[in-house]
Amino acid sequence: MNKEDGRKSVLVIGGGIAGIQASLDLANMGFKVYLVEKSPSIGGRMAQLDKTFPTNDCAMCILAPKMIEANSHPNIELLTYSEVEEISGGIGKFRVRVKKKASFVDRSKCTGCGLCQEKCPWKVDSEFELGLGKRGVIYIPFAQAIPRVATIDKEHCVYLLKGKCRACEKVCSAKAIDFEQKDEHIELRVGAIIVASGLGLYDITSLTEYGYRKIKNVITAIEFERLTAASGPTMGELRRPSDGRTPENIAFVQCVGSRDFRNKAYCSSVCCMHATKEAMLAFEHHPGTKSTIFYMDMRAVGKRFQEYVARAKKEYDVTYVRGRPGRIEVDPENDNPIIWYEETISGRVMSFEAELVVLAQAMIPQITKEFADILGIELNEDGFVKVPDKLAQPLDTTKPGIFACGYVHSPRDIPDSVTQASGAAGRAAEEIASLGSRGGE
Amino acid sequence: MNLEDIIKQTKTYYCLECGKCTSICPVSRHNSNFSPRLMLERALMDSEGELVHDRELFSCLTCYACSDLCPSEVDYPVFTQKVRSLASGQGEHGDCAHSGVLFSLMRLTAHSGIKQKRLDWLDGCRTTQRSEVLYFVGCAPYFEPVFEDIEVSPVNIARNSIKILNALGIEPMLLPNERCCGHDLLWTGDVETFKKLAHINAEMIKESGARKIVFSCPEGYRTFKIDYPQYVKLDCEPVHITELLAQNLSRLPLQPRVKQEGISPEVRKVTYQDPCRLGRHLGIYEPPREIIKAIPGIELVEMEHSGGESICCGTSVWTNCSSYSKEIRIERLSEAKATGAEVLVTTCPKCQIHFKCAMVDKGAEKGPDIKMGVTDLVNLVANAMETRE
Repeated sequence: MNKEDGRKSVLVIGGGIAGIQASLDLANMGFKVYLVEKSPSIGGRMAQLDKTFPTNDCAMCILAPKMIEANSHPNIELLTYSEVEEISGGIGKFRVRVKKKASFVDRSKCTGCGLCQEKCPWKVDSEFELGLGKRGVIYIPFAQAIPRVATIDKEHCVYLLKGKCRACEKVCSAKAIDFEQKDEHIELRVGAIIVASGLGLYDITSLTEYGYRKIKNVITAIEFERLTAASGPTMGELRRPSDGRTPENIAFVQCVGSRDFRNKAYCSSVCCMHATKEAMLAFEHHPGTKSTIFYMDMRAVGKRFQEYVARAKKEYDVTYVRGRPGRIEVDPENDNPIIWYEETISGRVMSFEAELVVLAQAMIPQITKEFADILGIELNEDGFVKVPDKLAQPLDTTKPGIFACGYVHSPRDIPDSVTQASGAAGRAAEEIASLGSRGGE
Repeated sequence: MNLEDIIKQTKTYYCLECGKCTSICPVSRHNSNFSPRLMLERALMDSEGELVHDRELFSCLTCYACSDLCPSEVDYPVFTQKVRSLASGQGEHGDCAHSGVLFSLMRLTAHSGIKQKRLDWLDGCRTTQRSEVLYFVGCAPYFEPVFEDIEVSPVNIARNSIKILNALGIEPMLLPNERCCGHDLLWTGDVETFKKLAHINAEMIKESGARKIVFSCPEGYRTFKIDYPQYVKLDCEPVHITELLAQNLSRLPLQPRVKQEGISPEVRKVTYQDPCRLGRHLGIYEPPREIIKAIPGIELVEMEHSGGESICCGTSVWTNCSSYSKEIRIERLSEAKATGAEVLVTTCPKCQIHFKCAMVDKGAEKGPDIKMGVTDLVNLVANAMETRE
């Protein structure tokens, strides 16, 4: 295959489950795929999850084989720790400039032994652990990271900032540390582009009524995932932040920032299910744990979802209370959060004391207006990728040759993201093939 | 305006029935018969018949705690205001406090020819006949005799406001025949009388040539800023005195000793009650705090619920004052006491009246200790200036 022939290659932006799936599908069809991921490892949001609904399968056990396959596939070139800077041209002949950010580690030499991150004398909050755990300034983001190579965080590296340290260099037997490394810019030619940049987390600190970041034992769902994951900062022991005790009485508060005109008007679409799953996990970790889910409308609309909720009630002692809490306060004696809510079936205003509160934080598309402008695509009023024809071409963006899938397209769960990713891969292949049949250029 | 128009105007259609409003409502927490959510539901389900005859229609404090958090941005206080006007048209009224004397006074001043003698308390204040700045006195002279027995002096707030303006080099003019702003009438549904008052006031202000109207009462301020423009044309800018003072802090001769009527001169710690009209209605949270912090020797400590999360003083527009109102006051004063503050400072004369009322109540001895000083921010500032001599 001629590497210069853009019509035989596709750019996939985002190395989460959607981007990986689209890349694998295209690679298996014979296309050359460039998979660009801005963080040091592929895996995305799914890598942070403990289990997946509605089967409670281990998230990493499903994801890791796909990550490995993407890494070893002869038709896929992983460009991790890289960002798309510029795009020109159009369908069949896109020219893409990609910045490979300096990681100050020769990625071809690094063996991923991890000694450097262990010996690095400086520790900062781990992004992967959402600040619940620490990482070295030189780090491998998580245990199953792909590629398994270290990266130096230049914002915090004491040698790069102050000219003194080089501890990592001393312990690296592979001689992979390279403080002279510079950003590299490469140019790609591709026939089509798939945007799969995933989801971000909406900043809920402005919703002061929930006490997030003010009350210690009020956490977000993604934080809860890390606290139950075996690879997480507590090695899978669910411990509440204030005193490290295992909570036996947990409350989940839904729609925190979602379905709220003052914040995000749309439904984040996965929270009813992940709260149900997390309540089950708490019970599995510590049988007898009582979970109460404060919800507005139970949206269990997927295959086997309603049964999943029924199972949570029956086998895991999960109680669902209809009412959107208006305030969370704290009992200073024991750091227990106290939830004020109206039980809307009876109409009574009540308070509920829990040992831990888990907030269903709204999710947002992970794409900026500036990046959309680079791509030349439009976003809708909520910041998701705009889809002009939602019925007949639901994966097409406003620019021919650029397709979207996963959460950046619209709020959706993992199976739907994967389905969409295959769809987007199919659309990209179809468009490129039809150019070929018309003779192209 | 009929119920359907009200539903449209206040976005009641968008209600998700999530109950966030009721869960945060200070009234619902004590009075289980009152629920903003159910009130909206009733409006959507039924014709106006049942709604306007609901006794709890007049229990809402219109404090905006609910709408501030509403995910659907339903304007519940305005919904209440408008439905009350429907109710009022059908002869429904809430339970009126103080034997209705205050409402009688409001309605009396709605007659255009009436002459008042309302400025006999101006000793020590410099005012002029013609000025760019008009000070709107409000109900203070009428409140004075009514609340004498609980030791609240609204006139003192007015007097001190003018003295502070004088200290800033402003000699305001006053309207000798100023009318009630109509706030309480509007919010109890008597829109007709409200309109009459608005027209008379607007006419007098126009004749006065004022460019700026200063208020020490948040209710008058809200009424002029938000409600009057819907009915009358005003060519001048309403300003709350705390906004004016916060902008001119460096020019205020504030001294480090505070004496208040009935309050020891050693007062060091105060807490601040955000009046609903100034806070959630108009978003003025910082200016009063900046002023308190600028008084030397005074420390401001915040209550558990402050700023946008403040809890109302328990009664609005002299209507449906009940045992629940008292419970809300006791709860709020307990919070104020818990801060360790000696004085609760507010910027609304009605907050002061309601808190004082809770303290002098005969039954109060049996409950928690809620006795503490209560005063207006204007008094605090004026006294900090006086100790200069």
